[in-house]
Amino acid sequence: MKNLFKTKLNAACFVLIPACIGINYLGKLFASVLKLPLWLDSIGTCIGGILGGPVIGGICGAANNLIYGFTTGDSITLVYALTSLGIGVAVGIMARLGRMEKLSGAILTACVAGITAVVISTPLNIIFWGGTTGNIWGDAVFAWSQASGLPVAFGSFLDEVIVDVPDKLITLLIVYAIIKGLPKKLTSLYELDDEVLSLD
Amino acid sequence: MKSISLYVDKDTYLTRLHPFAKMFYILAAVSAPLIGGALWIYGLFLAISLCLLISGKIIRKVFPLIAFSFTIIITIFLIHGLFNQENEKILFHLGPLAFYQEGLLYAARIGLNILNMLLAFATFVLTTKPADLVDDLEQAGFSPRFGYMISSVFQIIPQMMGTMNTIMDAQRSRGMETEGSLLVRARAFIPLISPVVSSSLINTRERAIALEVRGFDSKSKKTFLRERKLAGRDKALMALMALLIVLSVVWRVLTWL
Repeated sequence: MKNLFKTKLNAACFVLIPACIGINYLGKLFASVLKLPLWLDSIGTCIGGILGGPVIGGICGAANNLIYGFTTGDSITLVYALTSLGIGVAVGIMARLGRMEKLSGAILTACVAGITAVVISTPLNIIFWGGTTGNIWGDAVFAWSQASGLPVAFGSFLDEVIVDVPDKLITLLIVYAIIKGLPKKLTSLYELDDEVLSLD
Repeated sequence: MKSISLYVDKDTYLTRLHPFAKMFYILAAVSAPLIGGALWIYGLFLAISLCLLISGKIIRKVFPLIAFSFTIIITIFLIHGLFNQENEKILFHLGPLAFYQEGLLYAARIGLNILNMLLAFATFVLTTKPADLVDDLEQAGFSPRFGYMISSVFQIIPQMMGTMNTIMDAQRSRGMETEGSLLVRARAFIPLISPVVSSSLINTRERAIALEVRGFDSKSKKTFLRERKLAGRDKALMALMALLIVLSVVWRVLTWL
């Protein structure tokens, strides 16, 4: 697949990124308004990855966390810019491989995104917070693993798996439902193989 | 219009300082304790940040930020104080729970790191207007396209929040429940978020056309309304911070020998 990382850097893509960052923010806001025990803060990053490809997805993710870190003073968010970048790239690659066409593919994409997030977040969690994630369920598992003498890295890995994989699964199911409902007029803006035809 | 930025519009010396100088302070405050390795260096930078925040008259805005991070710090203290692998020496008992010295020291290091980062970032975030930051970045040679991307986030989000409130009211008036058991609340999520997402994505189309018409893809060099350059005091602060980082390296080498 030579088109895997090909990206069009036109105005449409540069407008997509802020919209995706806004969607991330709304997802997080709705999750907290409805008091859901999930983050749901990467809906926009996934949409960016699916519409614009891995590069745009990665930029969406990283820019999202950097902008929040530098404007709301939430230095915790800043640390996870790398994780968001990974999620955007992973979803973008899966979408370019044609996995977001069917529901089963969307679930597979969710697993890939979840595992990418776990692999990148675990070392960050250990370096910055000694292994905890700040999510009650995950941290309870971490406390249990430490009490039963398991290594910090393994406990932190479990902690992150319990939080990230269900979160990404639900995120991508929501994204799948949204993408399916988008008009062709909009998605065609981001298609790679559109050639301008001339009539003469 | 409600803004998502925490910037406080006050005319103090901190607000007038060039954003790059303040970023340099963050760099020093985060890296020096990590390089130096001693706990007192965290204390030193915490004190400097507090002095800056007090003299910049923004200390009151920092308390909600600290309060938010306290829950995570408390979890870290509980988990490591009770269950850290290297725990040997019991420090004190709290009912049936025994807290250990090694775990608490480890937790203290992490907690101080979080607080230090938080306060250093607060000095930057509370005194820098996002639009000014983007302007300064562009003048330093940053791509104007990325500059547009950052500054439009600040316009798009309040707009989307407005749409979100409209849609929430509309769906509620159709009889959708947004309160109750977890299942009810989870079921409300899709009908709330998908109209906002679709409408904002459809808006991007119009926005892209509008930008293209106004020469967004033009390659010619951009000019600025206001030229801002690093002043003497900005350079002095940056030099001081570089000196502190060098000192922390020296301290590390000395304690190592």
